[in-house]
Amino acid sequence: MSSTTNEPARTAVGANPASINTGEPLVRIQDVHKYFGAHHVLRGIDMTVKQGEVSVIIGPSGSGKSTLLRCVNLLETISAGRIYVRDELIGYREDNGRLHDLTSKEIANQRREIGMVFQRFNLFPHRTAVQNIIEAPTQVKRQSKAQAKAKALELLDRVGLADHANHYPAQLSGGQQQRVAIARALAMEPELMLFDEPTSALDPELVGDVLNVMKDLAKSGMTMIVVTHEIGFAREVGDTLTFMDGGVVVESGDPRRLIADPQHARTKEFLGRVL
Amino acid sequence: MSTRTPSGTTSRAGEAPREPELIKAVPVRHPGRWVAIVIILAVVALVGQSLVTNSNFRWDIVRTYILDVLVIQGIGWTLVLTVLSMVLAIILAILLAFMRQSDNPIFRYISWFWVWFFRGTPVYTQLVFWGLIAVLYPKISAGVPFGPQLFSFNTQDLITSFVAAVLGLGLNESAYLAEIFRAGLKSVDSGQMEAAEALGMRKSKIMWRIILPQAMRVIVPPTGNETIGMLKTTSLVLAVPFTLDLTFVSSAIANRIYLPIPLLIVAAFWYLVITSLLMVGQHFVERHYGKGVDNLVPAPVKATQAVTAAHTTPTTIAPEEGGHI
Repeated sequence: MSSTTNEPARTAVGANPASINTGEPLVRIQDVHKYFGAHHVLRGIDMTVKQGEVSVIIGPSGSGKSTLLRCVNLLETISAGRIYVRDELIGYREDNGRLHDLTSKEIANQRREIGMVFQRFNLFPHRTAVQNIIEAPTQVKRQSKAQAKAKALELLDRVGLADHANHYPAQLSGGQQQRVAIARALAMEPELMLFDEPTSALDPELVGDVLNVMKDLAKSGMTMIVVTHEIGFAREVGDTLTFMDGGVVVESGDPRRLIADPQHARTKEFLGRVL
Repeated sequence: MSTRTPSGTTSRAGEAPREPELIKAVPVRHPGRWVAIVIILAVVALVGQSLVTNSNFRWDIVRTYILDVLVIQGIGWTLVLTVLSMVLAIILAILLAFMRQSDNPIFRYISWFWVWFFRGTPVYTQLVFWGLIAVLYPKISAGVPFGPQLFSFNTQDLITSFVAAVLGLGLNESAYLAEIFRAGLKSVDSGQMEAAEALGMRKSKIMWRIILPQAMRVIVPPTGNETIGMLKTTSLVLAVPFTLDLTFVSSAIANRIYLPIPLLIVAAFWYLVITSLLMVGQHFVERHYGKGVDNLVPAPVKATQAVTAAHTTPTTIAPEEGGHI
């Protein structure tokens, strides 16, 4: 991973051209179940996301797609199954066939490798755009303020908001806030980015800017799992499309083929309603 | 702030944009307000007259003692008591509020018990208790339980009446403040915690840098309230007994000269002055923690950016109409 840091300007921040579509699995989700009390939300999910791949998850609300995404980042704990990111078991340490909870420090370390973008942006309202971005690099990675700031301005430029570095979130539109949130996640140089319905809270005319940033990110080789309702994005950018319903994966495969020719009645019905 | 006049704009080539004619409606009249004003002015005049003419107020005595050295020292001690006990209370309250939200059940129980105990007994009782601590424990020593002693000293040397007063006021206040801080922490959207966690930040860091600064917006106004309350609660320290504060000093003078009313006026005047100063301080603290939410100072932007322009739309109310009732 570190070999890319000194490469020429073609290499955008966070990009990793050396590993684009190497076909190595980065995320392995194995028979994952999740209960909220008696409510069985995830009912045995299996999914693999390869290095450099854009994996898009669609499905009706309540299908468990957001919950699955949150499990990858330990915002929810899984009830059964295993999730591996880069061969590292998420949330637990396996010792002689027994699972041990990770300490909060170990959990924080795992999360550093995984960036997350939320539906409601969740920017820190008391910090300006640039302060939002440098928070984790300076506090978690102990980068110097100057170094983190230079990187933050570069990232803001990349998401088209170089002029807005000193704006507070309340002074930004929803689309601008979400792009700052993407820059904030990228500042930690994650190897995986999770997007939890990143455009669902946006006015229609602002969706495009955010999707464009995500497209550029996908092109740069970032591994991404995207929960969305944007079928167009899935078709254009996605490498795989997964349709979830009722806590199970109904159908998964090449986005263009799946959208054009869904095999299951439920997929057909869902696509018929959203397209 | 100039009034726009429809004729004042000359558009190029005689086309639009044309300034619209601003509405100048005749406002509704409120005769009731004038009646109320007359009545209120009459009452104020009567009270004012009595303040001047009623010799029982003894303004000469008020003037003599308002800058009396004992009174000024009393103000100093009252301020010191207020500040120290509030600082102690705030430190404890942050700790208690964090403990209450902790994953560790022991911390949660201790925090709950502390609030239950110190909020559930009168502050007067607690002050008397701290004053009597030397009776209960004449010597304070630390050591291994049932083992050797490491050090020991007389309680009276350590817990003077001043320390007892600060402890009594501070510990009692910490219970109330803990609830205010807890409410503040709860007011912060849970998405903030998740976002910070997703960035790999540790819980303690998230609390200090992300959650608490946002919670302060909610915490500061009631804490200002409590500070002003504390200023006046210091008048109870005679229970310890601590006898240098403003209330005790002024009533001691009153008892000596047999004139309680002018000394009450002296004390009330100074409490009002301090309260007013505290309110000014609170205004600045609130402004600090309102950053990004309540007071959006226009960020330095390039000329092409007009995002903040929306916050400074031109006033269209004509100035001469602003003051009418």
